[in-house]
Amino acid sequence: MDEKKERSLSRMREEMAMFQPLLEILKADPGEMGNLQAFLVENIISNHKVIIDCVEQGKPFLASQFTNPVEILTAMDVPWYFHVQQQFAAGGTGGSPHTLEDLENMDRLGVPADCCTLLRLLLYYQVAGLLPIPTAYLALTEPCDSVAGLHAAFMNHPDWRDVPVFEPEVPYHDDARSYDYYAGELKRMIDFIAKHTGKTMNMNRLKEVVTETNKGYALWIEYSDLRRAVPTPHSYVMPLSGFYTLNTAGAGEPEKTQWYRDLVANAEARVRENRPEVPNQKIRLLWYDIQPMFFSELVPWLEQEWGAVIAMDMVSYCPHELVDTSTEDAMFRGLAKRALQHGPMIHQARGLVDNVISDIRRIVTDYKIDCVIFPGHMGHKDMAATASIARETCRELGVPYLYIGMDICDKRYTSVDQIKDKISKFFTAMRLG
Amino acid sequence: MQTNVRSTALQAFSEAAQTIVSPEVQKWKNQGGKIMGYFCAAMPVEMITAAGFLPFRVRATGSTGTELSDAYFGNINCSFPRHAFNMALRGEYDFLDGVVIFNSCDHIRRIYDHWIRQMKTPFVKILSLPRKDGPAQVEWFRDELAILREHMQEHFRVEITYDKLREAIALHNASRHRQRDLYELRKTDRPPITGTEMLAVTVAGTAMPPIRYNQLLGELLEDVGKASGHSDYRARLMIVGGELDNPEFIRVIEGQGGLVVTDALCFGSRLIWRDVDQSVSDPLTALAQYYVADRPSCARMYTRYEQRVEYIKKMIRDFNVDGVVYVRLTFCELWGFEQYSLVNDFKQSNIPLLCMDREYTLTGVGQLRTRIQAFLETLGDKHG
Ligand code: SF4
Ligand code: SF4
Repeated sequence: MDEKKERSLSRMREEMAMFQPLLEILKADPGEMGNLQAFLVENIISNHKVIIDCVEQGKPFLASQFTNPVEILTAMDVPWYFHVQQQFAAGGTGGSPHTLEDLENMDRLGVPADCCTLLRLLLYYQVAGLLPIPTAYLALTEPCDSVAGLHAAFMNHPDWRDVPVFEPEVPYHDDARSYDYYAGELKRMIDFIAKHTGKTMNMNRLKEVVTETNKGYALWIEYSDLRRAVPTPHSYVMPLSGFYTLNTAGAGEPEKTQWYRDLVANAEARVRENRPEVPNQKIRLLWYDIQPMFFSELVPWLEQEWGAVIAMDMVSYCPHELVDTSTEDAMFRGLAKRALQHGPMIHQARGLVDNVISDIRRIVTDYKIDCVIFPGHMGHKDMAATASIARETCRELGVPYLYIGMDICDKRYTSVDQIKDKISKFFTAMRLG
Repeated sequence: MQTNVRSTALQAFSEAAQTIVSPEVQKWKNQGGKIMGYFCAAMPVEMITAAGFLPFRVRATGSTGTELSDAYFGNINCSFPRHAFNMALRGEYDFLDGVVIFNSCDHIRRIYDHWIRQMKTPFVKILSLPRKDGPAQVEWFRDELAILREHMQEHFRVEITYDKLREAIALHNASRHRQRDLYELRKTDRPPITGTEMLAVTVAGTAMPPIRYNQLLGELLEDVGKASGHSDYRARLMIVGGELDNPEFIRVIEGQGGLVVTDALCFGSRLIWRDVDQSVSDPLTALAQYYVADRPSCARMYTRYEQRVEYIKKMIRDFNVDGVVYVRLTFCELWGFEQYSLVNDFKQSNIPLLCMDREYTLTGVGQLRTRIQAFLETLGDKHG
């Protein structure tokens, strides 16, 4: 394998090496939650292995995005990796050892510093040759300007310029016409994948996969309902990130459905036995943005110092509907709707502010939320222009609201201490905790 | 740089560009005419004209603050929508009978959410403008326009017939044609019209009844024909970016001796460089095709970066440009990533490029002057 290819896999290999001992510890002494966590770690490792094998053996694989229905990719039996994965995986594991060095290198790229760091980092990974170059690329073009702006820059890189690319174009509205239009984009995406990978779509297999993901979604809905319990059964990091990992890293496998089943069973038992993972819960939070990469420095502090649990967060709360598999058309429309309405970030940031308002209303009521934290990631310009409406919604509901203003990838923007300080002052002023 | 053009038409254009409610707008309103506001260069103004209304592109000309809109937008939002919405909240856009907004960018699209909550404008619509330019996107946008047409007909009780649309297309194409004639004159060694004046002309085109505008353009072309050309410049510059509607910004640049001979701006050449195809039988399809695919694209159209670079490079050749000034409104992600790509590409092509962030209102003039001067130094005195 040439040097370039080897370098493009280096971060995956490092991550695997970092995860392996963790996995062994989890397996040796799983405790009550260890098996659930081990599954997630194994999932990441096995996905990395598949991509490494594709690069080494010259087999076709895709780079994709969390908005492109994983059901389609699974049914077409084409491996993929989710190219913002490195940043997110780092968030779930307490930060990558490269974070600071990567951020400093990113600064030197020359993209204006007010542009979203998540995507500037991604651009850095590309420029630094740290992303495996796929056979074809399924781009992400919503929900924000950053992804659209990044995309043009991304495809201008000499090594990626010739990579065939398909950009499913996302409409702004939420109606039957929009879902049909997007279903058309998905069908065009299938033709594109077939053309560039030689893989074909088998509708029966797609139905099978969707039926399986439907089971996962149904269980996730059940799980979300269980988090309404006071005290809430689980801490935040593992289960809610798990939803993200499982939905982006794979679909349609009965083992994943089983993971959800186990998660639900554990939560049910904890609720029944009044045995929450986080004892002494005093504050129930809604965290309305994506999780920062350094969340592992915040969540334990919230829980231990303040008894504050994140009962629900923006990424995990989507109005999941099961996809109707009765006809091909219904299935595509359902997948289109799932991609536009249920995907984290897409659900909240694409389209009008209505989803944000109704999410806050429903979550605050259903989850008995004591306060809403709007982290205000610097890349989310639409959210900055939504914050006032969110504040107003909280005021109507009579629930305290805090806007922080941070960079989810870069602690240099607002440090963890500053964030903690803002949260502490807020809790104190609102007489929470 | 002094003007070489004696023209009442030019004065009318400058006046329209320097104000919101210009005498032309006021006259239209006094005569009972309806005015439809819009925010994006991709708005098919022909639809508004065909309804018998005046299309008015929302600006924040003359804005001095964001004291009211700060309650709705954050400090990481682009200053253009913040100033524009501030003016709306102050009642300065109360003369609009309707507003059409697109999902142009993350900042502008939120104006819709706030406008429907805070303003009393009777007709407010948001359209989904694709970011890709394939046949499916043209078809989608055609449907968007058909829906807008229905809504306008119903709400305002007007008829927007296909014939009226064809007439409007011809009218706006005629404007573009004359505007291009003016650009054409700037290709010469001694351009008779400055960049400051040209921007006032194109901005005025978004704030005047098109028939009147075309008449004034005709007069201006005649007047410009009589004017002597500018030769007292140090370098020929091109301005590239998104939203820039303030001729005074260009005046500062030209004051340092850099004559702006062309641009790729949303209030500039991108508005006029191509025509809507009048041979297409369905006018809505013609409009959708033009606004989604045929007109020079802006940074939100993510599949068309290469064409944008080609467009700029062709301009550089045709207008004999010495250097490019790239201006971006702070917090604009679209033009931020575009900047990164252009810096790399221009370096390879040896195109001198100066990148500048700016606020919507003209601030930091001293710094602007210094940076332009320094840039001009690097270009050398090619024409002096
Ligand atoms: S940059 Fe694009 S989206 Fe913004 S005003 Fe111009 S055409 Fe519209
Ligand atoms: S400059 Fe950029 S952020 Fe500002 S309104 Fe235009 S496209 Fe939007």
